[in-house]
Amino acid sequence: MRRHLRDFGLGALAAFIIVTVAFVAFRNHDLVERQTRAANAVVSDALGGRTAMPGSRAVFVSRATPSTKHSFLRRRSMAPAGGPLVWRPLAPGSDPDAKLLYDTATRLDRAAASSGSRTTPARIVELVPDGSGRAIAADHAADHIVIAITAPASPAPYPWVVMLGVFGLGAALTAAGALVDRTASPSGAATSGAPPVGVAWPARLGTFAGIGVLAIPTILWGSVVAATLIVIIAAGLAFAQHRNLTDRFIHGVREHRTALGFLGPAAISMLVLVAAPFVIGLFIGFYDHHHGSWTFVGLSNFGELLSGGGRALDDPLNFWFIVGVTVLWTVVNVTFHVVLGVLLALLLTRPWLRAKGMWRMLFIVPWAVPNYITALIWKGMFEGEYGAINSLLDLAGLDGVTWFGSWIASFSANVITNTWLGFPFMLVVAIGALESIPKEQYEAAAVDGASAWQRFRHITLPYLRPALGPAIVLGSIWTFNMFNVIHLVSGGAPGGSTNTLVTDAYRWAFDRGERYGMAAAEGTLIFLILLLWNVFGKRLVRAKGATE
Amino acid sequence: MKRRGPSPLGQILVYLGLIIACAIILYPVMIVLKKAFEPGRQFALSASPVPSSVTLDHFRELFSQRSATGELMFLRGALNSIVISLATTVVGVALSCTAAYALSRFKFPGRKAGLTSFLVVQMFPSTLLLMPLYVILNGLGLLNSTIGLVLVYSTTAIPFCVWTLKGYFDSLPAELEEAARIDGASQWMIFRKIMLPLSRPAIAVTALFSFMTAWNEFILASTFMTDQSKYTLPVLIQSTVTEFSADWGLFAAGAVITSLPVMIAFYVLQKYLVGGITAGAVKG
Amino acid sequence: MKRALLLLALLAACERPQGILLWHAYNGAEKDALEETAATWNAAHPDHPLQLVAVPYGAFADKLTSAIPGGNGPDLFIYPQDRIGDWATAGVIEPIEFWVDDARADAFVPAATSAMVHEGSLYGLPLATKSLALFYRTDLVANPPTTTDELLALTPAMRQRAGYAVAYANADLYGHAPWLHGFGGHVLAADGTVDIATPEAARAMEFARSLVVAGAAPAQAEGPLVATLFNEGKAATVISGPWFVADIADGVPWAVATLPKVSATGEWASPFLGAEAVLMSARAKDKDLAFEAMAALTSDASAIVRAKRARQVVPNLAAYNDPAVKSDKVLAAFRAQLAHTVPMPTAPAMRMVWTPYKTALVEILAGRAQPADTVQSVEREVESYLTGPR
Repeated sequence: MRRHLRDFGLGALAAFIIVTVAFVAFRNHDLVERQTRAANAVVSDALGGRTAMPGSRAVFVSRATPSTKHSFLRRRSMAPAGGPLVWRPLAPGSDPDAKLLYDTATRLDRAAASSGSRTTPARIVELVPDGSGRAIAADHAADHIVIAITAPASPAPYPWVVMLGVFGLGAALTAAGALVDRTASPSGAATSGAPPVGVAWPARLGTFAGIGVLAIPTILWGSVVAATLIVIIAAGLAFAQHRNLTDRFIHGVREHRTALGFLGPAAISMLVLVAAPFVIGLFIGFYDHHHGSWTFVGLSNFGELLSGGGRALDDPLNFWFIVGVTVLWTVVNVTFHVVLGVLLALLLTRPWLRAKGMWRMLFIVPWAVPNYITALIWKGMFEGEYGAINSLLDLAGLDGVTWFGSWIASFSANVITNTWLGFPFMLVVAIGALESIPKEQYEAAAVDGASAWQRFRHITLPYLRPALGPAIVLGSIWTFNMFNVIHLVSGGAPGGSTNTLVTDAYRWAFDRGERYGMAAAEGTLIFLILLLWNVFGKRLVRAKGATE
Repeated sequence: MKRRGPSPLGQILVYLGLIIACAIILYPVMIVLKKAFEPGRQFALSASPVPSSVTLDHFRELFSQRSATGELMFLRGALNSIVISLATTVVGVALSCTAAYALSRFKFPGRKAGLTSFLVVQMFPSTLLLMPLYVILNGLGLLNSTIGLVLVYSTTAIPFCVWTLKGYFDSLPAELEEAARIDGASQWMIFRKIMLPLSRPAIAVTALFSFMTAWNEFILASTFMTDQSKYTLPVLIQSTVTEFSADWGLFAAGAVITSLPVMIAFYVLQKYLVGGITAGAVKG
Repeated sequence: MKRALLLLALLAACERPQGILLWHAYNGAEKDALEETAATWNAAHPDHPLQLVAVPYGAFADKLTSAIPGGNGPDLFIYPQDRIGDWATAGVIEPIEFWVDDARADAFVPAATSAMVHEGSLYGLPLATKSLALFYRTDLVANPPTTTDELLALTPAMRQRAGYAVAYANADLYGHAPWLHGFGGHVLAADGTVDIATPEAARAMEFARSLVVAGAAPAQAEGPLVATLFNEGKAATVISGPWFVADIADGVPWAVATLPKVSATGEWASPFLGAEAVLMSARAKDKDLAFEAMAALTSDASAIVRAKRARQVVPNLAAYNDPAVKSDKVLAAFRAQLAHTVPMPTAPAMRMVWTPYKTALVEILAGRAQPADTVQSVEREVESYLTGPR
């Protein structure tokens, strides 16, 4: 009996969340429906000359008289509907809702003007956006405008009684099923050694019915989706009982509870603050945001990106071109990071070197200074004829370079800046690896007469590889997604051709009309590319390691 | 290994090489330093890293700026940055240590998946998570709050820290814990009294990384904080750079001050840095 | 228990802000001037204080668009007018013509108020105008050039000093606009459609390139470089806005004049007129009160304070009657320039023009592209951004 109620509890928890979400969606929708219907009715009544219902008001608003000096200033007057028409100016202070009436009249006129004289201008019916729950409706009459405002209303309160009742009913059904099961097969209870027996069908029916009952309120609220979800959960739970999945799950949780306890806090915060935004971002990729409105476009954003946007392959706005640039960017940077880091590490781990601490400290500085600051400084150094780099080249007797004029120069500027920023990380990793090499190996090799290159290849390298391996993986992911350097240094110049995937996505979001959908879709593609690369990369490495 | 090393000429060449490399690498930093002490709002045309004249005006102006309510903006910003960064360090290290310990020492279903997921999560381009994160924090009521920012920063730092710590934990022999478990110690006590003290290098790295993540971060701080009194240092420094004109002297002064704590932290924790990142990877 | 709840309720009620929250991106003198105006309001309205919050410029627009729909934004904010179209369509800002009468609208320069209008509704009151004018060094230039030919005539003398006749941010549409309008070109046609690929626009680009070829202007310059060149005597004149004054080093003798006429067409080189506006959030709590604050911030008295203290080129006509303002050479020059400006379009299409145009200018100035083709490609690119979902 206890386990049945426990299983019911699990399913009921999920169902409770769904029911609550369905209710929230319902009650907002319900409020809008109720109020807009009321507003509609009041306007129709006023147009027909009938009186408005109590609590609502109908108002006539005159046509606009634009000021002679400023076309955007218009004067209107108002009169309450029903009764003699007494016009008074619609001005600040004349009525608590004066501005609302004025703005709505303006909107109605504008809608009529844009729809032209072909069709009858549509009525405006909507909730007032001040959160009071009132609805407003506006329509054209003969030579003035009729506006109706309903009384305030609040959304339906949470139906606690209904919920308690339904849950109680559900629990009762489950318990009933469990009782029938026990009375039908007497011995039921398993001994502690034997694996638990699958639950018989009466109990499962009870569980199914118990949770299925929770779908009733959602049906009443008109949410077919929620109802279907709950029924699926109910069926799933019944099935899980058949296969003892719930028992095994609970058993597993209890067995590994210390592990889960240690993992829990980090996992929860990652779920809420990293996984959830990612999922939201994923969904946004299926919508298009254009001038403030969102439309569902399915895979169209992805299609537009993957097809290159209908542009040539060497056009900077072609997705594949940007992929190429990004891959080249990553490979070149990581190579430089590693080479520079390892070279310096070799120098900085010589035992005879003095003031090691000071040298290491100095070489780590690029990592310590905030990178948005140094990116701006580097940009300034590359800029124009008077930038520091060109001045130094000038001193050396060489020609200055228009750094952001050609692709190769602009790309190099980015690479130089990013290498400067990124090599300290590899340096630190390499130093750590080198310091852990036992000195005896070198001494033995020296005794054997090995050359410096042989010593490096057979002693140093095997120690460097396991340390650098993960560092390279991490470093390449960071470089692939590096935003600050490209955005602040070259800014994509010339012509957007040094944009990487991340900066291109940023441009979609902020420079090309706030197409957040496209930006989100590109972000998802970035993630997929990295994921695929990682998966295949690991397979490759494993295959290579197997053959060696 | 020859203790003597290469010939004196060889040594001199190496030192020379190091000096040149240092000069090249530190040149941009010297430019910033120069601008912080040189009068004027613009960068001078000369490429020399030596300031033509020295003034403390930029620093003076930086420290004396007051907000509309009269409080000293820079000190307030520094205080905010310190509080947020230290909190991030504590929370980040706490979360990462426990998670890494679980991934290192326990076997449970989904362990491998958990491990890869910490790596996979690094692959999300974080600039694009800004808007969804805003919506979520708004829903949780954590906008414009120190707690919200600390949580976000800690979570950002977790993947790298867990990776580092797990590697280090893996390299510690399990016999120590076995002995303690036989003696009847609980898992939590083993964690606290045996693992943590032994893992100082890795924890130092984790702490430094968390601190740096929070201290240098600009985009999230400027988007989520709407109260001027809650601004952190990077946000304040960026506000000296507007659309039309920038006070580079003020910017450079702010940059110098902002970089100091991280440099100091680096210097103090140096010896741990080297051991902490790689020990696990090498020995494991 | 009940008492605790009551206390809590009381506290919650007290915490509700009665004041008006305003966001801005000012620093330096402009911030001080704004704070002085706010202090005047606070003295007169102790129950409804105006609370100013400085937001970094880079994040300003994004913060607004995310905060206001969520109910977390300010009541008022100060921003250039170029996003009014977007924000009005998205329902982020509130139309304010309801509270405005002829008298109030008359107080401002017409070009400034028309910059705040979108689809027939007024969305903000103008706080300051920004345009470009000609700064020149009085030790290098005797009389400010009144035509572009006169400007080019400065080149030989400046070349001898390894300098330029004019330095300006030429790789950006904003800096290039005086020539564009001077040659009769424009970005958006009168009906708001994109009209970039015109022969006039191509001629303007050719002119900009010719300046570089003749050594009259640096190949590619941005704000900081322009300032440095001016301060070190390597630029005789600079085309920049009122913000440039803060960048001029002490000891440099300078003056301001209106931009010259384009010799080829005889038309005045006309920069964009940008207006900074006080805008009201659509979710402001007490809109009547917010408008009163808006009116106070843009009043003549406030304008005089801001003109004197921060040298803002205010759009309030009455402010220029004040003796201190009248005698300020910078304000006088920019006031005169107002007559030869083109209001910055508020249509959303305008926002998408900047990046493609900048890319095109960079190519033209470096001599790597031809103006006739380039204007075509810019127009095509902007059109492609405008078409939206297919």
